[in-house]
Amino acid sequence: MAMKGGGFEKNSQASSEVPTSSLADIAFLLLIFFMVTTVFQADRDRPIEWPEAEAAEKIDEKQKNILNLWMEGDGTVFINDQPYPMEDVSTVVAPLYADSERALVISIRGDRDVPYLYMDLLQKELVEAGVVRVVFAAQLEQSMQRERR
Amino acid sequence: MAVLNNKKSRVSDQVNTSSTADIAFLLLIFFLVTTTFPKDKGLAVVLPEPGEEAEVSQRNILHLIVMPSGIVDVKRGESQQVQQMRPREIEGLWRQEVSQNENLIAAVKTHPDASYKFMMDVLDALHSANAERISLQVLEN
Repeated sequence: MAMKGGGFEKNSQASSEVPTSSLADIAFLLLIFFMVTTVFQADRDRPIEWPEAEAAEKIDEKQKNILNLWMEGDGTVFINDQPYPMEDVSTVVAPLYADSERALVISIRGDRDVPYLYMDLLQKELVEAGVVRVVFAAQLEQSMQRERR
Repeated sequence: MAVLNNKKSRVSDQVNTSSTADIAFLLLIFFLVTTTFPKDKGLAVVLPEPGEEAEVSQRNILHLIVMPSGIVDVKRGESQQVQQMRPREIEGLWRQEVSQNENLIAAVKTHPDASYKFMMDVLDALHSANAERISLQVLEN
């Protein structure tokens, strides 16, 4: 029996297509890489009622240069998930401020119903620590809401 | 030809995986695009340096005294006349006052028992009116 075509037309064993089976693995690898390396803010949110402000603007500073300072309704101060007595705030903030080369912005996240007495004490502590840039964090108030009040 | 019956089925017995990559890339791009880092919003103020005290003429001060009820007592400089206002009316007042005196400073004095939100309302109104010289104090008796 003679071979068809004398054996010359036999198909090549090598595939003519680029192997795409590993593309999915690459994509998933990238997906997992980004999911793992994405870091959100270090401290957890405290349960506070946010004050509202119409003129609230975005803080123009890198995330790492923003220190969140929480003040709950009863006047307790939280920095990086830890409660601190009021008189210790300046000693906690001062080294952080020095480390950031005076670029640190303090975001005061106070409960809307906290008596102003505590806010004033907090500001005095920050002045003592040498902090200059402070933001009173607030939720953006819609003008519709304002008209209803 | 009996050979025909033994011919392999044309239908592949494997699930087609060539589009998995496309799905994964689509997910990747979707998450990359939709992820927004929430930026904090707030009212920025500049605190004074320690020991920094400036003498300001009473003529250039607008006293805004925030009471625990949320009502604001407005006093101009040395005058003892008190005008009571709601925080939302401060914006118009400031624009009017600053057009008469460019060097005006807003001294927001909040009663120790007043809620923080009332001070924020006043600060918000001042920010809305583009006030730059603001001093935050606690009301002392």
